[in-house]
Amino acid sequence: MHVSHSDEIHEGEGAGLSTPVGSRRTFFHWVTLAAAGFVGMGLAIPLLGSLISPALSRRKRDWVDVGGVAELPLGRPTQLDHVTTIRDGWMETKAQKAVWAVRRSESEVQVFSPICTHLGCGYRWDDGAQKFLCPCHGSSFDVNGRVTGGPAPRPLDVLPSKVEGGRLLVMYKDFKSGLTESVEL
Amino acid sequence: MSSRLYDWFDRRLNLKPVQRTLLDEPIPGGASWIYVFGSVTLFLFLMQAATGMFLAVYYAPTPDHAYDSVRFIETEVMFGWVVRGLHHWGASAMVIAIGLHMLQTFLYGAYKPPREAMWMMGVVLFLIVMTFAFTGYLLPWDQTAYWATQVGINMVGTVPLVGDLLSRILRGGETLGALTLSRFFAIHVLFLPAVIAAGIALHLFILRRVGPAGPWTDDRASLSSETFAPRQVYMDAVVIAGVFALVAGLAYGIPLPLTDKADPSDTSFVPVPEWYFLFYYELLKYVHGPLEPLATWILPLCVILIMLFWPFIDRNPVRNPIRRPVALGSGFLFLLVVFGLLGISIKNLYAVPRADPAVARGKAVYAQFGCAGCHRIHGEGGAVAPDLSTVGDTRPDRAWHLKHFRDPQSVAPGSFMPKFPLTEQQLNDLTSYMLSLKRAT
Repeated sequence: MHVSHSDEIHEGEGAGLSTPVGSRRTFFHWVTLAAAGFVGMGLAIPLLGSLISPALSRRKRDWVDVGGVAELPLGRPTQLDHVTTIRDGWMETKAQKAVWAVRRSESEVQVFSPICTHLGCGYRWDDGAQKFLCPCHGSSFDVNGRVTGGPAPRPLDVLPSKVEGGRLLVMYKDFKSGLTESVEL
Repeated sequence: MSSRLYDWFDRRLNLKPVQRTLLDEPIPGGASWIYVFGSVTLFLFLMQAATGMFLAVYYAPTPDHAYDSVRFIETEVMFGWVVRGLHHWGASAMVIAIGLHMLQTFLYGAYKPPREAMWMMGVVLFLIVMTFAFTGYLLPWDQTAYWATQVGINMVGTVPLVGDLLSRILRGGETLGALTLSRFFAIHVLFLPAVIAAGIALHLFILRRVGPAGPWTDDRASLSSETFAPRQVYMDAVVIAGVFALVAGLAYGIPLPLTDKADPSDTSFVPVPEWYFLFYYELLKYVHGPLEPLATWILPLCVILIMLFWPFIDRNPVRNPIRRPVALGSGFLFLLVVFGLLGISIKNLYAVPRADPAVARGKAVYAQFGCAGCHRIHGEGGAVAPDLSTVGDTRPDRAWHLKHFRDPQSVAPGSFMPKFPLTEQQLNDLTSYMLSLKRAT
């Protein structure tokens, strides 16, 4: 838009104070608004984006080596302790975690979360009863994790696992307790 | 819709006089592109405040976590690197905007009566901004931040009588550490914003009481005025949008890598300050021995006092620059010295020897043989073998490296480094790469 000078300057009365009027004034008004919009959006998007960023990203989990597959007896659950890295924002802490691993065949291993699905107690394997027994409220599970007694609302939670080069890798997760469905925290 | 909403509030709050006060401020001689720098500075301050608030959402001001939290902002937070980039480049832009604003005021003689107080308040604001820059620089807690601040505080220590006490107060004790970081953080995000907000309010209050200076013409009676809105607002807005586009372009385009995490035991690190302190950094190189206090505090103090009281030193009532040769001459001389020193400093910093292609090839060999499995260079790699970040300084002997790569145990008995099957070419390239690993100068 071409704007010629002073053609539409309106002379104020007495004081020598002038102000542009008409289409010139409208032009200045819209350019100012456009500039404000550009700067406002240019700031709002990265600023608000950075603020909501953690709400959009799920916690990243790493595969953790929990032991050699060959050391696991066939069919008998074994508790495997390992150290896992827990990321809390910019903080990284090492934590001792345990999982229950059951070797089904040469290369097939099922891994259970060590937390009872009822209220979050730690359970243990009882060789005599051939069951996982929870000491808190008496829930029990068979070797496949199915509920065989007590108040537990769902089978034991299965953790993602894979075997690579004879090593058992597990992705440790926490689940909400007390629900009939397995819901990751 | 918006006008009906406005009318609704206006009937209750009587907004029209406020609007007139804000927008119909008379600009003597009419709006001009040369008057935009004050508004640009104000915008940049507001941008620094906004981006700073959002950085504070993630930042942790403790030596344990400051570096990690900044790295988290840089790598994990969506747009985190953009926000940090805007804050970083915004600081530089603000220094430039203030410089241009002061230069315009100086050229137009706008500091002369009755506007002395506005100039002095402006100088105080400038000093507050430099304090922002100094305290903000430490917060990432990387090597550059740590050692540059160390040097800055040591300079304060050279002030006679009170220097030692002052530097202890700045550090929060004997050594630069946790207490320094937390007080720099508090000063940067709590104390200074409160002080500068009051200062800006005062600066603008004075402006509205005495009015803008306008052109330097002697015949002021014949000057007609124009309202601040819409033309000056439009000019301010256009330049602000341009400045924002530039700062955003730098933020998106140039990554700001952190140096290694601050290591108080590594006294070999040579820090380089931000560019706006470079001229001063260069000046300090030329002054040693008994003259050192001259550069570390006497000269800066004199410059600050002269700047502050300039309206009372320059008593010439004329504003036209052509008829103010002494003032203009001394201003020009000052800028010549500052930019001369800045130029020399930048030349020294970037006059690095031309890159040797053997170094790049050696770097590839380093990667190819997985050397980083055991060795570490600037925080990258394993820690079971010696850190090679500055091996070019600690072992500058080419023959030693060649012998060492052929048979590590022959020069370093007990070393568990294996003999790698390197060709002559690879051997030479790798050695060139090792010798290139020096401290930044």
